[in-house]
Amino acid sequence: MYHLLMGIIECAAAGGSGIDGDVSIMAASISGYTFSSVCFHSANSNSDHEGFLLGEVRQEETVSISDTQISTAELLQVVEIHNHDPCAQLFSFYDYAGKVNEDNLNRILKDRRKSVIGWYRFRRNTQQQMSFREQIIHKQLTQLLGVPDLVFLLFSFISTANSSTHALEYVLFRPNRRYNQRITLTIPNLGNTSQQEYKVSSVPNTSLNYAKVIKEHGAEFFDKDGVMKDIRTIFQVYSALQDKVQAVCGEVEQSERVKEKIQEDVNKLKQQIALRKRKTAEEERRLREAQNAESHPTSEENSEPSETSLLSRVAFHAPSAPERPGTSPNPPSYSDLLSQEDSLLSSSSSPTSAALLPRPQAVGSPGHPTPGPLGMGLGLSLGLGLGLGDSSEYENLVSEAAHLPMVSASVLAQGRPAALSPDGDARGSQTS
Amino acid sequence: DWLCSQTLLHAGAEREMKQLIMQRSAVHLESDAFLVCMNHALSTEKEEVMGLCIGEVEINRIVHIHSVIILRRSDKRKDRVEISPEQLSAASTEAERLADMTGKPMRVVGWYHSHPHITVWPSHVDVRTQAMYQMLDQGFVGLIFSCFIEDKNTKTGRVLYTCFQSVQAQKGSEYERVEIPVHVVPRDAIGKVCLESAVELPRILCQEEQDTYRKIHNLSHLDPITKIHNGSNRPNRPIRVLG
Repeated sequence: MYHLLMGIIECAAAGGSGIDGDVSIMAASISGYTFSSVCFHSANSNSDHEGFLLGEVRQEETVSISDTQISTAELLQVVEIHNHDPCAQLFSFYDYAGKVNEDNLNRILKDRRKSVIGWYRFRRNTQQQMSFREQIIHKQLTQLLGVPDLVFLLFSFISTANSSTHALEYVLFRPNRRYNQRITLTIPNLGNTSQQEYKVSSVPNTSLNYAKVIKEHGAEFFDKDGVMKDIRTIFQVYSALQDKVQAVCGEVEQSERVKEKIQEDVNKLKQQIALRKRKTAEEERRLREAQNAESHPTSEENSEPSETSLLSRVAFHAPSAPERPGTSPNPPSYSDLLSQEDSLLSSSSSPTSAALLPRPQAVGSPGHPTPGPLGMGLGLSLGLGLGLGDSSEYENLVSEAAHLPMVSASVLAQGRPAALSPDGDARGSQTS
Repeated sequence: DWLCSQTLLHAGAEREMKQLIMQRSAVHLESDAFLVCMNHALSTEKEEVMGLCIGEVEINRIVHIHSVIILRRSDKRKDRVEISPEQLSAASTEAERLADMTGKPMRVVGWYHSHPHITVWPSHVDVRTQAMYQMLDQGFVGLIFSCFIEDKNTKTGRVLYTCFQSVQAQKGSEYERVEIPVHVVPRDAIGKVCLESAVELPRILCQEEQDTYRKIHNLSHLDPITKIHNGSNRPNRPIRVLG
């Protein structure tokens, strides 16, 4: 039989202690507010969403002693995710080849760079595996940020066929370790703290000496009303904190209203730009028609572009190794893209920006709806472990469909409806 | 006999028709309200939390949830998620306040609760509770957030949410769950009401803790050491939430 003596010694983050140990085990936690915030930003995104994880890493040492008296020390690396820094759009710090641009990275992170302990990605209807591009980016981030054990948190969103039930799956990877180790991510909350319950009864003690000592020293704990002094102090701390939170809430509310106003202005400007482009396209079309009529008065006016030229205008160009400029332009929203495509179909204008957009890539697509995705989507309907090959082929399929009200649920059904079966009930059956 | 059976059939068809009419076609949950629900659900894995949904019903039977109200649970036993009349009344008052603020016809349109470590599907108690609310408002909807689920083999964590209503196939039969599509609707910014709801959580926890401690404190038979233990125990929760 072995005796196990557990001693936990907290060390500084880097370096470790004097006892040789192998930092092989990692534990990770993320605050509920940060987790919810990531879900919020992801839900607001019409494409994949990504960002950086901010927090701290510390090492805990556990010493175990067995009957043989050989002490073995194990270093436990504890990652605490305190906050996140969402990226406004995809490809903001890397290009299609996965090459990270350090200047853009610094521009995004600013002074938060030293707090980065990992990064995250949110995708819809994809497998819980890192894609090749993500692995490449991760290696570069590890070097650039100087965090040897940088972590990667992958969120995947799937829904049932009728969109009545949705699941957000999350896995924390430790890609710089062998076999791309996965770490359990806990969410600390009020239910899993070591707080003991209130005691409603006391152990009877009739000792006079005991009563005498307690009476003498009791005054140090209780005030004249018999209430514990600490309670009042701690309540004051709580009130101060609550007031601060209230004040911050007010500030956040103001900044959210400013953000809303700015977004409204941006949307109006986008509409005006789209309207102006449509008008310009219309005028050019009329001009061309007039010119055609003058040059070929007998031929029928070709108001509709030929199929080939139409396809060449509508089809996206796909350079072999596309490189976006350092500052990536904002990808068009789904509604803008539809309106642009409509204008293309009815005009014979020169290629608009829609036609010049790169073909939606598997990873990091800015969220265009890919024509005819259902065929590929069907292949995705089968859940994990199907050997579908590179998951990147299926990433970001119909990603925005999930967030358009009244969208047909059949598109979402191409996710993993079979896998979204009732989870194992910890209590057993559903009967109460 | 034939007349009886025809009457029953007709009554059954009529009931089914009524249920279908009142059944919601979809629920649109604004993303900031979704944020508050997630925060609330993830605040504790030890017990179920609950709240009410405030919003409006559109002409095509779509429920649009604009905000949520976090509720205190008087009975913290598993699956006992009843809402007191006082809480419903307070929620209605809040809905009126929101209606004045937004200029939209807001009212209490549903409820949500969490299933920590439990499957997302509603239990029989949940379905019956939902049916009871539907007696007051046939279009009432229920949301459930399942959290703290982990697949130990793949180290994959899961948070799920579902939307449902209850129907009764025929009079006297068991209530059954009906799935209602639910979509989270993006919002450019977090609304004021949702921010207020979010900071309400530590306040509610503090009130709950105060009530509990007050009851314990009034137990005169406890010796000082026990009181010191309880007193040290008491104040942490609201501060931890704020932390």
